[in-house]
Amino acid sequence: MTEHILKKYDDELQRLTGEILRMGEMAAAQLAAAMDVLERRDSTAARTVIADDHAIDLMEHDVGHDVVRLLALRQPMARDLREILAALRIASDIERIGDYAANAAKRSIALNASPAIAPVPGLAALAHLAGEMLREVLQAYHDRDGERALAVRARDAELDAMYTSLFRELLTYMAEDPRSISSSIHVLFIAKNLERVGDHATNIAENIWFIVHGEPPGAEREKRDFTTGPTR
Amino acid sequence: MSDLRLAVNAAAPGAGEALTNKLVARKLAFRYGDTQALRDVSIDIPERRVTALIGPSGCGKSTLLRVFNRIYAIYPKQVADGEVLLDGENILGPKYPLSRLRSKIGMVFQKPVPFPMSIYENVAYAIRHHEKLTRSQMDERVEEALQQAALWTEVKDKLKRSALGLSGGQQQRLCIARAIALRPEVLLLDEPTSALDPIATGKIEQLVADLKARYTIVIVTHNMQQAARCSDFTAFMYLGELIEHGITEKMFTNPGKQQTEDYITGRFG
Repeated sequence: MTEHILKKYDDELQRLTGEILRMGEMAAAQLAAAMDVLERRDSTAARTVIADDHAIDLMEHDVGHDVVRLLALRQPMARDLREILAALRIASDIERIGDYAANAAKRSIALNASPAIAPVPGLAALAHLAGEMLREVLQAYHDRDGERALAVRARDAELDAMYTSLFRELLTYMAEDPRSISSSIHVLFIAKNLERVGDHATNIAENIWFIVHGEPPGAEREKRDFTTGPTR
Repeated sequence: MSDLRLAVNAAAPGAGEALTNKLVARKLAFRYGDTQALRDVSIDIPERRVTALIGPSGCGKSTLLRVFNRIYAIYPKQVADGEVLLDGENILGPKYPLSRLRSKIGMVFQKPVPFPMSIYENVAYAIRHHEKLTRSQMDERVEEALQQAALWTEVKDKLKRSALGLSGGQQQRLCIARAIALRPEVLLLDEPTSALDPIATGKIEQLVADLKARYTIVIVTHNMQQAARCSDFTAFMYLGELIEHGITEKMFTNPGKQQTEDYITGRFG
């Protein structure tokens, strides 16, 4: 896209984009760190992950400030308006992803206080896919690639299905051994957090599509999280 | 849903009442001397809606406005080809009387130019030119026009004073009163607020919103926010051609043409 006549406007928009990408990278790193401390049963490192979430919150605050400033001083139109509006929404999604990472770290501390339960293999796979969706959607944002964003959105059904399967697996554990209920519930909440990360990555993908095309993507996406409905 | 969106959606073709085209240009070309100011312009101006014409200086937007009331006819070497239909009749045709056109289409210019006479006479002057009215009928017509132009309460006690003593914003509203005193059907506004402060501009924009219930309005403006604020439809022109014309909301959020996008986002040139 050609540059604005007013060069400072371009600088401000680039700064906004840069903030979003840095925020996204921090959230992806936090998510990976949370899963790492969970696996290693490292409560000290988990506390660092929880404390670091504050930095993401501050960045969201900065993005909000910059968006208000751009709206007031530049009166953006068309694609610029969509970029700025989407930045505000995407920052909010990334902030939530940061919260989920911090929450997973918090639950890992609670898990460490109880005897170790049998490893839940589905959880690592869930975390891997959620992390991959986040990194992919950040790349799609960097490239303003609507198609790549939609591909991320399509993977959310896969994540939902994995979560549903994990949910049932944990239900079985709890039914078999009631002493594992407390720990299993923590693991279940972590899994739910990861499933929500996918939903936020999907929101970001839809915002990228909106930036590029000026309208929301069509066709309702497929949902495969059946844990809120009757068990089949 | 915001009021703006409601207003624009109400204006959208196919939503709510059906739109009738008041003015229609077909394959309109205009030249003066060797300069081709308009090329192949075809545009529909819906009745009782506000259509904004935007584009950089020299794009032909003011020329298009002037062709709509044939103001060019007073200058030699100015030629318009194609058609401009007002209620289906070609106003560019030799048979269409200029006086009839003037009574149907009113125009207000960038700089308010009140006549050097009283406020009352500024409005009455044009009416007298077209109609014979009794004193009381004339008083009613002058009041009606000043009321519609949202100026009456400010000037009703000083109608005999010179119009030159009014503020710029009041003078511009007086010019609008003068234009609507003839009860036209179309109002052409050529950058009507470019010489006014933001408060006077706001009053004119509110006036435009009020007047569209009765009149078809075409406004030329350099101020994109103004076009976004007060029009239902926006047309973008460049180098004498109509590049894109559509619902204002769409034009300013997701225009169809790259040239429009570049212009409204300040990337032109």
